[in-house]
Amino acid sequence: MPGFGTLNSAWMVWDGPAPAPEDEVLEYPRELEKFLAEIERRAFRMAQVALRDPDDALDVVQDAMLKLARNYAARPSAEWRPLFYRILENGIRDLQRRRSVRKRFMTWLPGPKEDPEGEAQDPLDNVADSAPAIPEALMQGQAMEQLEQSLRNLPARQREAFMLRNFEGLDVAETATAMGCSEGSVKTHYSRAVHTLRDQLGEVW
Amino acid sequence: MNEQRPEPVLDSFEERSRVLFNDSVDSLDFAVRSRLTQARHAAIEAAAAKRRPWFSRVGVLAPAGMTAAAVLGAVLWLGSPLGQHAATVAEGQPNLEDLEIVASSDEGGDAMDMLQDDIEFYDWADKAANSGPATAS
Repeated sequence: MPGFGTLNSAWMVWDGPAPAPEDEVLEYPRELEKFLAEIERRAFRMAQVALRDPDDALDVVQDAMLKLARNYAARPSAEWRPLFYRILENGIRDLQRRRSVRKRFMTWLPGPKEDPEGEAQDPLDNVADSAPAIPEALMQGQAMEQLEQSLRNLPARQREAFMLRNFEGLDVAETATAMGCSEGSVKTHYSRAVHTLRDQLGEVW
Repeated sequence: MNEQRPEPVLDSFEERSRVLFNDSVDSLDFAVRSRLTQARHAAIEAAAAKRRPWFSRVGVLAPAGMTAAAVLGAVLWLGSPLGQHAATVAEGQPNLEDLEIVASSDEGGDAMDMLQDDIEFYDWADKAANSGPATAS
């Protein structure tokens, strides 16, 4: 049976990853937690804008957090933000795709047609409310609702580019990483999104 | 992290969009914040567990492994033929193998044949034993 000296020398030839020092093991999740705490609410709101349903948005954000922590926590912390949003956007797209398939499937079934996701839009939602003397907070809330509605009507890539650049403040290179496309595409998507939104909301705001 | 990032130049529309979004983030209700905190803790725990050295995970799993091995051993013992035999003998009930040996022609069958061949001798021996001291005939 090998003694402790033999075991210690065995570590010298072990070609796998050496165990991390205890300090590093403890420090590591602390930095990750700080990062997640900074972005979690913004990420939730962005997911909610895209998905409408708060429970779905929470699920997608939670899933993105877990995937980042499990698979990319060892990467430099500067890479976490674009990686996290890439995971998040993939999750949102995946959920939207599943919803779309489910909706198509439901139309094939007999019986009363229902809209399980509440996607049916009331035409009045897009009509500007011109009533005067509305409190400021309420006006802010309504303005945000209109912005969200307009964002949902954008093509997905334009919406992603606008939210990542404008809401989250990612630069072009980070947005390109998060979206998995070139920087030129990011600029194009963002420019078109701003143009469309300004056309739709300019008069209302 | 956000405070260290250079602010991009935004026009009034973009600026207003950002302000509205930030306000909506700040006004999230307590339930959502709580669930986000729980999700964050779960993620951190997952990262910490993956980061932990493998031998510390072995240390945690060792008692559970030993318990599982003990349970498996007990199940195998009770389910084995040896375990069943021991239980049968203890209860004093006939074993199927024993019955087969008794019924086979090599053992009990020969004994019965011998009894039938010398039936008169065994009848005399039985009467002699019950009638007391033997007399000369």
